[in-house]
Amino acid sequence: MARTVILGAGIAGHTAALHLRRMLPKEHAVVVVAPNSKWNWIPSNIWVGVGQMSVKQVTFPLAPIYQRKGIEFHQALGIELHPEGSPAQSRPHVTVQYTDPEKAGQIANLEYDFLINATGPKLNFGATPGLGPDGHTWSVCTAGHAVQTAQAFEEVIANLKAGKHQTLLIGMGHGTCTCQGAAFEYTFNVEHELVKEGVRDNADVIYITNENQLGDFGMDGMNFGHKDQIIPSQTFTESLFHERGVKAIMSAHIEKVEPGVAFYEQVDGTKNSQAFDFAMLLPPFRGVDMKAFDANDNDITAEVFAPSGFMKVDADYTAKPYEEWKASDWPKTYQSVKYDNVWAAGIAFAPPHQMSRPRTSPNGTVIAPAPPRTGMPSGVIGRAVAQSIAERIKYGAQGKVHTASMADMGAACIASAGKGWRTGQAAAMTVFPIIPDKEKYGELGRDTKETYGEIGLSAHWMKVMLHYLFIYKAKARPFWYLIPE
Amino acid sequence: MPALETFPNAPVPTDKQLKARKNVFLQFARFIALNLKMVAMMNKGHH
Repeated sequence: MARTVILGAGIAGHTAALHLRRMLPKEHAVVVVAPNSKWNWIPSNIWVGVGQMSVKQVTFPLAPIYQRKGIEFHQALGIELHPEGSPAQSRPHVTVQYTDPEKAGQIANLEYDFLINATGPKLNFGATPGLGPDGHTWSVCTAGHAVQTAQAFEEVIANLKAGKHQTLLIGMGHGTCTCQGAAFEYTFNVEHELVKEGVRDNADVIYITNENQLGDFGMDGMNFGHKDQIIPSQTFTESLFHERGVKAIMSAHIEKVEPGVAFYEQVDGTKNSQAFDFAMLLPPFRGVDMKAFDANDNDITAEVFAPSGFMKVDADYTAKPYEEWKASDWPKTYQSVKYDNVWAAGIAFAPPHQMSRPRTSPNGTVIAPAPPRTGMPSGVIGRAVAQSIAERIKYGAQGKVHTASMADMGAACIASAGKGWRTGQAAAMTVFPIIPDKEKYGELGRDTKETYGEIGLSAHWMKVMLHYLFIYKAKARPFWYLIPE
Repeated sequence: MPALETFPNAPVPTDKQLKARKNVFLQFARFIALNLKMVAMMNKGHH
């Protein structure tokens, strides 16, 4: 009997758990450790944040699903990794601290034969003083945050209806943030709601970002093939900003936030501030604060994890300039550099470098969008890792190692720009491959037949369809596995 | 660099394009086309 422990039940961890359970006979245990009791379809949090969806519509309890599927579930936080065992316990194990209200604070060691680290990001609000719901800005990173944000947004609308001018600042709360797509979506959903409420004229909507140009999305921009034309994502995105009257602050690192004002530096070194009545600013991500120890309890955290806190896997981490980055730098198997029975899936793996060119201001401030790896890539990686483990359990060393390099993988992104069956709008974007490969696809780095963008009501319908489809899949309803990641 | 940027030189959709983006029949056809495009792309990239 083999025991696989999966840390995290987000898109990567939950996908891996369900596939592993489906692929393995019942005598092999699949164990999930996650600090939250509920699964959250995070892409729809932007709709919760404008009051167009409830928390119930974007979350569901994990325990009943895992009970039905025969997956052992611990509502707990992984805090220590002991891949070689420890003086007190010889087998590899993870130390967890329960967040389950019935066992809150209790510590346990969970043994494993195989481990998937799918812990996702730590929302690092602390990187910018005053950032986050405990400071002076709102967030849509969790369903709970999005509910608070919706309440604050409701007040903004009430103020506008009372004739008060309002400034809404939305975007990136730090120079190294990722998830520009989510901030973009929230910006245009807010704008859409203001129009619907008839109060748009009295509001300024400002997008603040660490991107050097609009449409970068942390992916070094894209070039959409359209008939016989190439349309840069910059043109595509600027067109939408112009059409909807949204202003932008580009190449910015927010240094601190005080009540009603954000202080920022731009890449040319200029420092400025922006007053706001409402701000939704995303935090930068880092790895969760997990430590690793060897058999003698020596701290080996630096060997297992990168300084960012993400786990080091089969990537090329050699420091090199942007011009020398290659698609082959990116990992394929997601196996730990140090232990061949440990993998990192989804956001938890350490990327070798960014995709967009990193920039530094004359003051030495790094303004560098981190590479996105949420959503579709996380799911695909989770499944590939589960397949590799299932093969290893069934066939030992002869088992096939599955790969899911982001340099060989496409992604679809539906960025909502307003909700409504007849009035909704979204930008549907496909990109292939996710990681630019200039050796294979020339200077543009991607296949322009497969890289495509379109704005319209149909893309909004797709976003709604994906919402219901992925929640159906995550609930492991009949034939869930036929729905691609 | 400018603190607050607007994009006056960005192309704006024509009235015809804006109507097309909201036309239910046309958008239903685009919905089908987009689905097929995305499924094909997903199949190409999944191992």
